[in-house]
Order: sequence, then structure tokens, then C-alpha cells
Amino acid sequence: MFGYITPDKPELKMWEFEVFRGYYCGVCKTIAKRAGHTGRVVLSYDAAFLALLLDSLHQQPVHGTQKRCLIHPTHKRFMVTPNPAVEYASDINILLAYYNLKDKWQDEKKLAGPMGMLVLRKGFNRVKKRYPSLVRDIGSDLENLRILEQQRCAHIDEASEPFACIMRRIFEFHVQDTALKEVLGWIGFNLGKWVYLLDAYDDIEDNIKSGAYNPLLAQFEYNKKEDASAFKQRIREQTEFTLVYSLSEMEKAFSLLDIQKNQGILENIIYRGLLVRTRNVLEIGAGCNEKSI
Amino acid sequence: MRNPYEVLGLKEGASIEEIKKAYRELVKKYHPDRYMDNPLSDLAEEKLREINEAYDILIKSGGNGYAQQQSSYQRQQRQQQRQQQQQQQYQYQYQYQQQKQNPGSQGYSGYADENQMYYQIRMMIQNGNFNQAQQMLDSIQNRGAQWNYLQGLLFLRRGWYDRANVLLRKAVDMDPNNMEYRDTLSRVNNQYRGFQQNPYYYRGGYRREPDMCQVCGTLWCADSLCECLGGDLIGCC
Repeated sequence: MFGYITPDKPELKMWEFEVFRGYYCGVCKTIAKRAGHTGRVVLSYDAAFLALLLDSLHQQPVHGTQKRCLIHPTHKRFMVTPNPAVEYASDINILLAYYNLKDKWQDEKKLAGPMGMLVLRKGFNRVKKRYPSLVRDIGSDLENLRILEQQRCAHIDEASEPFACIMRRIFEFHVQDTALKEVLGWIGFNLGKWVYLLDAYDDIEDNIKSGAYNPLLAQFEYNKKEDASAFKQRIREQTEFTLVYSLSEMEKAFSLLDIQKNQGILENIIYRGLLVRTRNVLEIGAGCNEKSI
Repeated sequence: MRNPYEVLGLKEGASIEEIKKAYRELVKKYHPDRYMDNPLSDLAEEKLREINEAYDILIKSGGNGYAQQQSSYQRQQRQQQRQQQQQQQYQYQYQYQQQKQNPGSQGYSGYADENQMYYQIRMMIQNGNFNQAQQMLDSIQNRGAQWNYLQGLLFLRRGWYDRANVLLRKAVDMDPNNMEYRDTLSRVNNQYRGFQQNPYYYRGGYRREPDMCQVCGTLWCADSLCECLGGDLIGCC
């Protein structure tokens, strides 16, 4: 997970922010319960969004308590009581973080990889046992992604397909109804595509330095003499089209959902938060500041 | 059936004006034009039907003759729109048939067969049969404007927006007189711009880089504060 999916905080109402943070804390708490306290470090906003969206399809009012927690012992905070959506999002967070660490180890031989994997081992095995088919499918998508990256695939659409499929699976897995599956799947697909490409754009400078694969460098044929910022400027318009178009498709799917609660927070994220993030990454390069709230 | 007020997102006992306003907005939201290139168009249509039913019920129960007239007027309008759309489609089909009838322009012997194939591909894309459509497109050697258009359309439906946009543009460049290609390209680009400029989209606000006014203001403020404490930040004022 990348932590790109956040609300546009200044536009949120105070209580809405509190509720969003409540979901975030709820996911954190559940991860701690399932993968040990050290597992908390992998917590991401994306999982909070997943929990929020899936839970908002149900009518029961948001249930939570004011609690202190290990990370913020000084103040009591509103925390959503773990429900199926929050638990599912926590499991997904553990799963994706585990794969992310594994990927880091395979690609860059960073020691953080195996250490993190060791920490998450218990949680990961639990998730694997709980959703065997989902974990298997995601595994095969990741294999596809690895192959494409090895081939240095020169098309952003093709390169982003496996990750978009993973997100589609994640979003549709939790519900039963076929029509709802389709709608959530399309949200996931487009969100996945957006996250993957935005991350690629954000990593351009690093990847130029390290020579690692980046779909944008491959598609737009970066030559070594070119200045990184000039390159970014050159590809900006075309990249922005794909990013924003993905979001617009996602919004169409979102419009078809019967949202029962948290409408304001979800709309804030979908109509503003994601666009603000897109613009920040494209313009300032201030992308992912996964800071705890 | 669900409570019609709920369908329109209103509180029970909303006034006719409120009902109309909500209805207009929802129709815009779920309009078939908006969902034309979207795989969920069936669901949008269903939603619109539900909204229309709810609206009709509420307007009738309101007992307002004028509103009833309006409703039927709107329905007429919708019907007209649909007819227009159909006519457009017929036009395209007619164009296509004409092309089929005088295939001599390119002097390619398999042209008629190819058009048959393109027609099939169109149908497959419409029915969501993407893999087969892709196979057929791959098998075509002579890649003209229509090939690029259909491949673009297929990519669009599959979520490959970057390539879709490039191919649709190419199709329009190759055959600038074809209205269907141009319509699709402009629809796609309008959707992009529309979302980017949606009323919720962040424009300006405090997060923008500081402008000159803000910079000067801050300096002036800092200077005054320094002066209060007996110092001076900017000597000339």
C-alpha cells in the first residue's frame, strides 16, 4: 500500500475527520491484535479508506469508543470498534505490506525486507489461511507484474494492469452480491491503476538514479542526458490524462453505490482528496507523506 | 419497492420544487451519455429507471397538474432524445453500409469481408466480449482509421486509457470527416476535463504557493513585530 488515498483534510468537518481517524485507528488496533504490536508500522491510509468504504455500505451507525492507545498515550481518541469491514481491511493491509517487503528484498536487497517479513509472518499466515483463493490470485497477479517489470514493459497501461487487477480483487472480494461486486471491482481497478501510475511518477527521480524499472521512463523513452524535471514536464500532460480519467471512471462506479453513512468523507476523498494528491505529485512532487494522524 | 423519497435522496414531505431539483440532478448524474463508455452502463440505466419511477409517484401524489404535465413533457423529451440517438446510430450504420457497398476506394480485395469483421468486433465490444474482439483485431493486417477507432474503443472499455486516447486521436487524424470518431474522442476528453474541473476540485486556496501579496504581508508583519521589540528587520520602513 502506498498511502496516497487520503481526504482533503481542510475541507473535512471536524467530526468527519474524527470519524476517518476512527477508522484509521480501528484498522491499526486490529493489525496489532492480529500481527503483533510491531505490525502496526505497516498501517496505511489506503486500508483506512477500504474499511470506510466497505463499512459505509451497511446501515448500522458507526460504533466506536474513546480510548488511549500505545502510540498516542496522552490523549483519548475515537476508535471504531472492529467490525467485518475493518477486520478485512486490516488483513489486506498486512497482506499487501508483506508482499511489498518481499518485493523490496527481491529487487533492491534491502535488509528491511526480511526483517519486516519476519515481523509480519504470523499475521500473513493467518490471512493466507483465511482467504486462500484471494491470496493465491493476488500471488499470480504479482507474478505477472514481476514478469512485466523484468521485461521492462514500455506501456503504462499494460504495466499497471496487474496491480489494478489486484485492487479489483481486493475491493470485490468482501461482498456477495454480483452487481455490487462489479461496481466495487471497477472502483478498485481504477484506483489501483491510479495508485500504481502516481507512484511511478513520484519515483521518477529515484529510478533515474538507481536505474530501476519505471513504466513512465520506459514508455516515454527517457534518454540519459535529459534532465529529470524536463522529462517530467514533457510527460506530464499525457500522464495526467490517464490518472484523472481513471479517477473519473472510479467516480462513476462510486455514484452507483448505495452509501448508507459517511457520505461526506467518502465524497471528500473521491472528488477532492485524490485530485489534490494527483496535483501535488504532478506539480510539487510532494507525494506520499505517510505521516501518522 | 423503496420509498420514493429515499430514492431521490430527500426527506419525506419535501416540496415539489425540491423534488424537481433533486430529480434533475440525479438524471444528470445517471444519464446514459455519461455512462456510454463505462462497463457499468446497465446498472446506471437501472438506477435511472428507479429514479424516474420514484419521481412519477411523488409528482402524482403531489396532485399538481402542472407538475404532471412537466413530467410527461420530460418523458417526451427523453423519448425524443432516445430517437435522436437511435437515428445517429442508424446514420453510422448507414455510413458503414455505404462504405460496404462501394469498397473500391482502396482497391483492397478483402475489404467487404473486413467490414463484416469490423461489424462483428463492434458487437463484441458492446457485449463485453473483449478477448475475442482483441483476437479479431489482431488478425487484421490492414490497419486503417476504423481499426484504430475500434482498438481504441476496446482499450477504453478495458481500462487502458492511455493507449485508447492515442488510438482514438489517430483514428480522427486518419479520417477527420467521420463524426463518430470525433464524437467519441471529444466525449473522452470532456470526461477528463469535466472531472478535473468538478465543482469540488481544489482551486486556489491556502495550499497554493505563496503569492506576492502574502510574501509582502508576512514581511511587513515580521518587521512590525521586530520594531515592537526594539529591533528592525527592514531598515527602510
